[in-house]
Amino acid sequence: MSAAINIIDKVPFFGGMFQIESNELNPVNTWPSLMAMTSFIWFAIAAILGVSMPAIQFMELGSNWYYQNITLHGAAMAFPFAFQLMVAMSLHRAGACLGKRADDIFVSLFYVFMNLGALLLTVAVLLGFHVTYTVMFPLPLVGASMGQWSMGTLVLGFSGIALVLTSMIFIYPIKILKMSFFEKTDDTLQVAERTLKDPGMIGMIMGVLVLLVTGTPLMIVAGSLLLHLYGIFPAAWIGWAAEPVVFEFVFYIFAHNLMEAMAIMIIGAVYATLPLCTADGSRKLYSDKIAILALWILLVTSVTSFFHHFFTMYPALPSTFAYHGNIMSYATGVGGALTIFTILATIWKHGIIPTPALFLILGGFVMYILDGASAIVISNVAWNFKLHGTMWAGGHAMVVLIAISALWMGMLYYHYPLMTNRTIDDSTARSSIKYLFISYIGLFYTFIAAGAAGMPRRNGAWESDWYIYGVFMIIFGVMLIYAFVLYFLSLTRSKSLDY
Amino acid sequence: MIEYLYTNAWGAFIVLLMFQIPFLIVFFHIVNKKAFIESKPGKTRPEKYSYYRYSWIALVLVAFVVVNSASIKYMPTVVEANSASDPNVKNVDVTASSWAFQFSEREFNVGETVRFKAKSTDTVHSFALHHPDGNLLFTLMLVPGAGTESAVVHTFTVPGEYTVRCLEYCGIAHHAMKNTFTVM
Ligand code: HEM
Ligand SMILES: [Cu+2]
Repeated sequence: MSAAINIIDKVPFFGGMFQIESNELNPVNTWPSLMAMTSFIWFAIAAILGVSMPAIQFMELGSNWYYQNITLHGAAMAFPFAFQLMVAMSLHRAGACLGKRADDIFVSLFYVFMNLGALLLTVAVLLGFHVTYTVMFPLPLVGASMGQWSMGTLVLGFSGIALVLTSMIFIYPIKILKMSFFEKTDDTLQVAERTLKDPGMIGMIMGVLVLLVTGTPLMIVAGSLLLHLYGIFPAAWIGWAAEPVVFEFVFYIFAHNLMEAMAIMIIGAVYATLPLCTADGSRKLYSDKIAILALWILLVTSVTSFFHHFFTMYPALPSTFAYHGNIMSYATGVGGALTIFTILATIWKHGIIPTPALFLILGGFVMYILDGASAIVISNVAWNFKLHGTMWAGGHAMVVLIAISALWMGMLYYHYPLMTNRTIDDSTARSSIKYLFISYIGLFYTFIAAGAAGMPRRNGAWESDWYIYGVFMIIFGVMLIYAFVLYFLSLTRSKSLDY
Repeated sequence: MIEYLYTNAWGAFIVLLMFQIPFLIVFFHIVNKKAFIESKPGKTRPEKYSYYRYSWIALVLVAFVVVNSASIKYMPTVVEANSASDPNVKNVDVTASSWAFQFSEREFNVGETVRFKAKSTDTVHSFALHHPDGNLLFTLMLVPGAGTESAVVHTFTVPGEYTVRCLEYCGIAHHAMKNTFTVM
């Protein structure tokens, strides 16, 4: 039996979501199941931290708790939850579509690096390393020199981040590229055959290439700093990398494109899955060509739209880059518009069968588009100066991740019978989707409205005018947790397909 | 009306709803119809699809161009550049460091146009100015070593106490990085 099944079997409750038998499909099922299960454990911890944040403000527990929890919440939700869930599902899909194993050393290394890295970072944050998940360089160094946290916690935190980034930027993309282009096909694993011309596969390959290409400079800069912290590189070698502007730019070129890569990947997966849920069984998109065109537009326009993170540095960011970033951000909206068209035209042309999997996928798509609208609004130079640094920006970062995660959770519903030989509990799934959608809408407009009202993000001492938004965060946050509990139950209550 | 849309953050909220609501209506209508009312292939002719496709993309392009073109004159980058040689603009220097601001001046008169030039001495901060009613007038991101200061030009129109805040997380006392301006 595989190591992954062994671990899953030992974990209470969460393990019950993936009761996998030994069969010939284990190579594409067990590790993805273990990763998905682990990502949900991270979610559970991070969600409680999310609701704790407004509670900390109301109970006046102090800004230290707030900054600790926002760092843990943001980091856990973005990396070991959302990203790991995506990796789980994409490895399963790539394995079953291309007939390649998803249980080799790359997969287990990814798992160890991602989760060990996140654990190290967690320990560092608990020891006082409160830098938020975007690191805010040079804050880690400045904070250590001012005595906000110790040099030791800084080294620990950076080591954790380095492991996480290595798993995302190198291990995962290389594994997907190997599966797509190099490894030998195993026919018994290829249960859902697809070629590399399929929009789903194209989206996945674009996504991992973006991670690899935009992430490598960050790895070089952050790696140099880390080697200096370990005492291997002398200070004279790393002055260039410790330059705040250098770090901030390589960081955001990666971080921005990370989100875009995750979006391209999931849109590709939607293109691949929607046709399988059509009423006429045609298994066709309205148009593959337009779908692929939309992916290309998203890819090329998103690369340079990252400038929207720096508009407000003007004139330290020359205005030409601001206008370029503004235009490219709206151009990604054109890719989004083509996607909307392809999806609606497919539904109109072929009809759909309303399964929970499809509904969660369509619901996640609506979330993604609603969020995308908030993203292009804040990418206009005029509005950016009034919204950057407010809850609007924080809310957008958060809800794009919720939307992408919801889409992958829909994909998990879709693939669940193949992964586990079981079928989800339909009625629990339906109520989960309902609450997920309502709580998403509630959280989304709470954050956006708070931002429009001028409420700062990442502020450890809310003023009384802002409390009302905190009340809604708690209400919809608790509802979101309830929706996830139902989601988990819809899997633990699954029934074996053999009966 | 147009001025309000671009000079108040709630204007951004209104435009956001103008993008979202039509999408929501069309999406739910189509999904509801094709999942529940008649879950079968539509009989629409292929030419109709291409007609809708071109119209939809044209609509999106026009909307994007209009929304952005109308915003140009309100862009702080444009306003600052246009006032470069205006002798009536008063220059004020702002220095941010963990966790306080220093200003060369903190009292202004209604009608006065001020160019704020801001920089940070240690880590990433911002210089953000909130209207007495709570709205954010602007924020400038200050990256140390950026080569030049960040700058914005603002004309005060309403008297009162304005709040200055840092909106870029800068460590354990970030929230305390706060100050006020008086406008008479
Ligand atoms: C369970 C319900 C949730 C609640 C109540 C909640 C609440 C919050 C709060 C209060 C903040 C801090 C805002 C600020 O001060 O700037 C925040 C930030 C954030 N949340 Fe959540 N959240 C929840 C779920 C999620 C989920 C599901 C995700 C991702 C999948 C997520 C990702 C994030 C991210 C990335 C940030 C930004 C952190 C930062 O700015 O450093 N949250 N959330
Ligand atoms: Cu600050």
